[in-house]
Amino acid sequence: MIDRRHIGFQTTATPVQVDPWRVRLFCQAIGETNPVHWDAAVAAEQGHAAPLVPPTFLKALESDHCSSALLLQRLNVPMQQVLHAEQRFSFHHPVLVGDVLDISRQITDLYDKRNGALQFIVINTHFCRAGKRVAEGVQTLLVRLPAQAPAAEVTA
Amino acid sequence: MTDAAAPCPARIERTFGPIRALDLALYAAASGDHNPLHLDPAVAQAAGFEQPLVHGMLSMALAARVLGDHFGTQALADLNTRFTGVALVGDTLFFIAELSRYDDQQAHYRLQARTQRQGEVLAGQASVMLPTPARGRLTVPVR
Repeated sequence: MIDRRHIGFQTTATPVQVDPWRVRLFCQAIGETNPVHWDAAVAAEQGHAAPLVPPTFLKALESDHCSSALLLQRLNVPMQQVLHAEQRFSFHHPVLVGDVLDISRQITDLYDKRNGALQFIVINTHFCRAGKRVAEGVQTLLVRLPAQAPAAEVTA
Repeated sequence: MTDAAAPCPARIERTFGPIRALDLALYAAASGDHNPLHLDPAVAQAAGFEQPLVHGMLSMALAARVLGDHFGTQALADLNTRFTGVALVGDTLFFIAELSRYDDQQAHYRLQARTQRQGEVLAGQASVMLPTPARGRLTVPVR
């Protein structure tokens, strides 16, 4: 069982810059062809000061701050037993290429089902720009006991 | 067919794929998720899969495109996805977004992605901000 005293653990926020080249590569990887994500002129036409990042690029920024693998190490949970069960993002303000976001992550819940056979880790991520919350992420990881754990979607 | 001109279609369907090993290599580089289950056929086979696994977060990125391509990236207010199954290299992903409700500001969709091979691999919800003209129309009293 994962010790519930870890609930509430929070990383110290660190600044992470949104790199244009990496956003371009991310767009290539997901087949995104809208130039608003890399062309400053197109972004300006749509009223943005810089190109927009694709919504789920926040996960890459989050890993730059502190990967889920590092948090799992802290909880003493082997990566091989972990599945990425659920992911949520709430977007309050557009994140732009060149932004510097202050990112922190917090373990907000640990619970189990089936008498402990399935354990869940909930991690919230806060994305702030100049002190203002621009987005939030909630990642739910599922830990399965070895006997019942055929490897599947293992988390980043 | 979905009426692309409607501000709030009842249903949006999109197909992505087949997903190539190259797509997963690009996604690994861009996201930083280099787990060999996504990249190395031998590791995937040792884990009981015929092919490397598609990153769940790549499926989620495609889910975001289903809404973003229609409403605009900045319209997405909330996206929640559960990874209910596993897609493999070579699979084609079929997405359906169905309108569950809307108000004068947001439309809320149920999302599902399936593959031919295994059925559902992703389920979730998305909320998008509706364009201002639609909001205006909806707030004008009907006579």
